[in-house]
Amino acid sequence: MRPRSLTAFGFLAPYLLIFASFWLWPIIYSFYLSFMSTRRLPWTFNPKMTWGRVVQDPAFYNALENTLTILAIQVPVMLFLATLLAVMLNSTLLRARGLIRFAFFAPVVIGEAAYAAVFRLMFNTEFGVINKVIESVGLPPVEWFSNPDAAMALIIMAVTWRWVGYNAIIILAGLQSIPQDVYEAATLDRVSPRQQFLYITLPLLKPVILFCLVLSVIGSMQLFAEPYLITNVGGPGGATETLGLYLYRQAFLNLNFGYASAVAYTIAALAVMISALNLWIGRDKT
Amino acid sequence: MKIFGTCAVAALCLSAGLVQAEEITVWSWGSAAPALDATLEGFNAKHPDITVKVEHLGYSDVKSRVLAACAAGGTGLPDVFQFQNVEMELIGAQFPDCAADLVPLGFDAEAQAQFPEFKLFALRQGDRMIGMPWDSGPSMMFYRRDFFENAGVSADDIVTWSDFAEAGAKVQAANEGVTMTNDNLNGGTEWLQMISNEQGCGFFSSDGESITVNQPGCVAALDVVKTMVDAELMTAGNFGERVQNLSAGSVAALMSGAWFEGILRNNAPEDQSGKWGVMAMPSVTEDGVRAANYGGSLLAIANNSDNKEAAYSYLSYALGTNEGQITMLREFGLVPSLVSALDDPYVNEPSEFWGGQKVWELVLSRLEIIEPMNGTAYFSDADQVLQSVQTKYLNGEYDSAQAALDDAAMQISFATGLPVAE
Repeated sequence: MRPRSLTAFGFLAPYLLIFASFWLWPIIYSFYLSFMSTRRLPWTFNPKMTWGRVVQDPAFYNALENTLTILAIQVPVMLFLATLLAVMLNSTLLRARGLIRFAFFAPVVIGEAAYAAVFRLMFNTEFGVINKVIESVGLPPVEWFSNPDAAMALIIMAVTWRWVGYNAIIILAGLQSIPQDVYEAATLDRVSPRQQFLYITLPLLKPVILFCLVLSVIGSMQLFAEPYLITNVGGPGGATETLGLYLYRQAFLNLNFGYASAVAYTIAALAVMISALNLWIGRDKT
Repeated sequence: MKIFGTCAVAALCLSAGLVQAEEITVWSWGSAAPALDATLEGFNAKHPDITVKVEHLGYSDVKSRVLAACAAGGTGLPDVFQFQNVEMELIGAQFPDCAADLVPLGFDAEAQAQFPEFKLFALRQGDRMIGMPWDSGPSMMFYRRDFFENAGVSADDIVTWSDFAEAGAKVQAANEGVTMTNDNLNGGTEWLQMISNEQGCGFFSSDGESITVNQPGCVAALDVVKTMVDAELMTAGNFGERVQNLSAGSVAALMSGAWFEGILRNNAPEDQSGKWGVMAMPSVTEDGVRAANYGGSLLAIANNSDNKEAAYSYLSYALGTNEGQITMLREFGLVPSLVSALDDPYVNEPSEFWGGQKVWELVLSRLEIIEPMNGTAYFSDADQVLQSVQTKYLNGEYDSAQAALDDAAMQISFATGLPVAE
């Protein structure tokens, strides 16, 4: 090797060392583990207990279904709201703009444990403010933590509340990078504001929204804190158990590292596939 | 130079201090942590040179941190940690070197004989003992005397679960805004575990080699839970919510391991003193057993602790003497598993909070009839499956409790590789 590249590798060495020991090695080791039955010592080679289980485990499919449900409902709703919010935040009519932008961004800054505790109180079946409001308009109270569908709705609302402002700020940055003269020209040509939004704003925002989409998809695939803290560790009875939570249970509560490794590889593969699909759908058709 | 000098002296003092006084750290949860604090005065009178620091963490925090630390070869463990008896086999099976063998430290056959076999079972690894038994948790029904009286119901007349349901309807009718009872329906299987154990049905066979969760005792237990929920006598409440409900006076009866006595007594507002009573849990049939075990812990010493001797002397005081165990019983309601402590005069004293009832006499009379249960290394696997099956059954997704538990047995078998017992 030439001395110049030696120097380069010398400078890279600290990073490569950390990468190798904390990224590369675990990735390889967990691939090895994913073929081992780790139910009893000594661990034995038995892919039937790991890969064989992934493909037919009803609990895994339940977690997968929950994750995809959240993905399919929460991500579009959130991005729609975020775009709407960004347009409103960008409006010249808005006063105290900085404060309002911060207010919508603030949920991201709040610790998960704190906001989860507040959501638990607000959605409490008997004492919670949400059910008081629902009852005051004459509807029956909702069992937010006991009813599987209501619990899922609760998780979707919580995640949306937390991340909508964050996405809105990213989209707002995208809005502000659209040059004003495009709109001026459109106004001169008597293009209505609605048409301006549909045919100018949205197409020019596409790369930004796509970026938010990919981030949100990856975030949803890893969703953990909300079902852990708000709905009793994925309750009721696994109705809000996500893939991340399922993986955690298998690895650190059941100490079944072999199976957990197989699950981890499956989740990673799914995330890659879904993200690739997103990019493919949003590609520039030239 | 001057600064350097002071630092050197300080360092010297610090290291000299370390040699003289040993400090041990303990991870503990719930009312068990303050109970340990309560023993420190007595312990330090005997061992002034050992400082014990009890860290109060939540139950799931202790569990996940201990398991993660064991998986990392013991890094980051405190000297001593609390663990549940039914879950200790998981550590024994997966990390045999994580918890220290207590036999060479002094927990010999003679010392072990002070504890009942059902508490030692999960701790034995061949000749090794990886923990010292602490408390046991006879399941009791804690109830509000005043709510029962308002409804003209007497706890003495409640023998079966259908009696309990009947009484519950009356109690709810006579007390506005009061629910008969709570169970952790959204995140646990506590009633199912307790009533199954009462009915002589374990999730696993006693040798731990097969799955028995679909046998008649467990089926009957799941049916009791369903009856209570369908009759709207039981609502969901996790541990924190049950404590809220009891202190708000919105629940009439709570079933739990006897260790709940201290939690209830220490969380109920003062004006509830004398309004609570304790009864044996009801049974499925008139002549059925009315006892089960729920919870109960042990203390283990980390294998890589530098202060094993000091840690052991604390364990043997707190858990292995009447003085230590009775202190924890008196202050926090932890039922000693040390047999000799059961003869202490304190257990025959009436309690003011419980309306003059001799609570401990009743609780301890349960110990002899409790059926031991094998938790196995797969307990949390089984619990997860059962939580999901229980929720589905309560929502009407199975035709019968038998069908629900047959499905559960199959799923547990799938997760563990164990066969379903014939």
